[in-house]
Amino acid sequence: MIDLERYPREITLHNGVTLVFRPMDRDDVGRLWDFFRQIPPEDKMFFRQDVSRREVVQHWADTLDYGLVLPILALEGNRVVGDATLHRQRAGWTQRVGVVRVQIALDYRHIGLGTAMVRELRHLGEKSALHYLMAEVIEEQATAVRAFEKMGFVRGAMYRNFVNDQRGGLHNLLVLLYRMSSPDDLDI
Amino acid sequence: MAGTDYHCPHCGAELRGDSRKGGSRPGGTPGCPYDRLAYAVLRAGHDAIYFGAWRHMDAPALETRRGYHRIGRHLAAIGRELDGRDLPAAARDLNEAIKAHRTADPREESPDVLRLMDNALSYAHRAIDDLLHEKGLPAHQPMDFAEWYDAVEVPFRDEW
Repeated sequence: MIDLERYPREITLHNGVTLVFRPMDRDDVGRLWDFFRQIPPEDKMFFRQDVSRREVVQHWADTLDYGLVLPILALEGNRVVGDATLHRQRAGWTQRVGVVRVQIALDYRHIGLGTAMVRELRHLGEKSALHYLMAEVIEEQATAVRAFEKMGFVRGAMYRNFVNDQRGGLHNLLVLLYRMSSPDDLDI
Repeated sequence: MAGTDYHCPHCGAELRGDSRKGGSRPGGTPGCPYDRLAYAVLRAGHDAIYFGAWRHMDAPALETRRGYHRIGRHLAAIGRELDGRDLPAAARDLNEAIKAHRTADPREESPDVLRLMDNALSYAHRAIDDLLHEKGLPAHQPMDFAEWYDAVEVPFRDEW
């Protein structure tokens, strides 16, 4: 079980703006839906679900289970400007693998928020007895790839023409992996 | 940068240059640039290495060895800061830095030495950023302090 006592926590960005990181709760449907509606269409093409529909976000809120999906929101006041999720399995062969996803509002890119959210997920992953974090990124999302690599994720695999966008176009899928610490690894 | 090693009288950082200039910035603005910043010693220590002479294209072997030993002391300082704290991601980064540093042998004249030293410094930077993140502070940007050093080249900068 992840310790959520660290939330809410304030994070200051390079431009001096202070945001609050905290887990999503049931009352966040409206502000999270607003956030997804403002994500540019070219980014939405790669979403797994149609987040333009409020009922999709409502369903997430109705079925919140932090043990399976932990969504961390970045809020400026009442506005969601970032969403990072850690997805886990309770059983099975991938129960030690956490899948991470990050989405940043257009006007909050290039000021370190994406990196801060990846760093937050990495901290949560380290605390969750996971062995690996895995991020799946479309190859064209170069800044996202760099942010993950900056945090120690390495390219695990690339699947050519593997995923399609909402218009049917094919794209390469890059799988990035971050190996968690184990006591045996640490020399310090 | 010419000069000798000295400790900044304000933040205690191990700097290099003219100690008589300590405490004043180019342009005459008073105060050490790291003064009152969180983890000032670690940040200044990182930047002194980051902008150090060993990274210049024509650096002599002596500067490589000097940089190597300075990285070792820097990693030890980060280790002292992390000691007793439950920050596994930061500990992992520091561990990777130590591994890279141990693998490098500054007595060899090989490009691998510089690459491994660069890796060690990069992991060290990440560990410092982990510490800053836990305080809710932005990541350390060495280029914000470049004017303090003999920074000839501007490294690539990109933030998501």
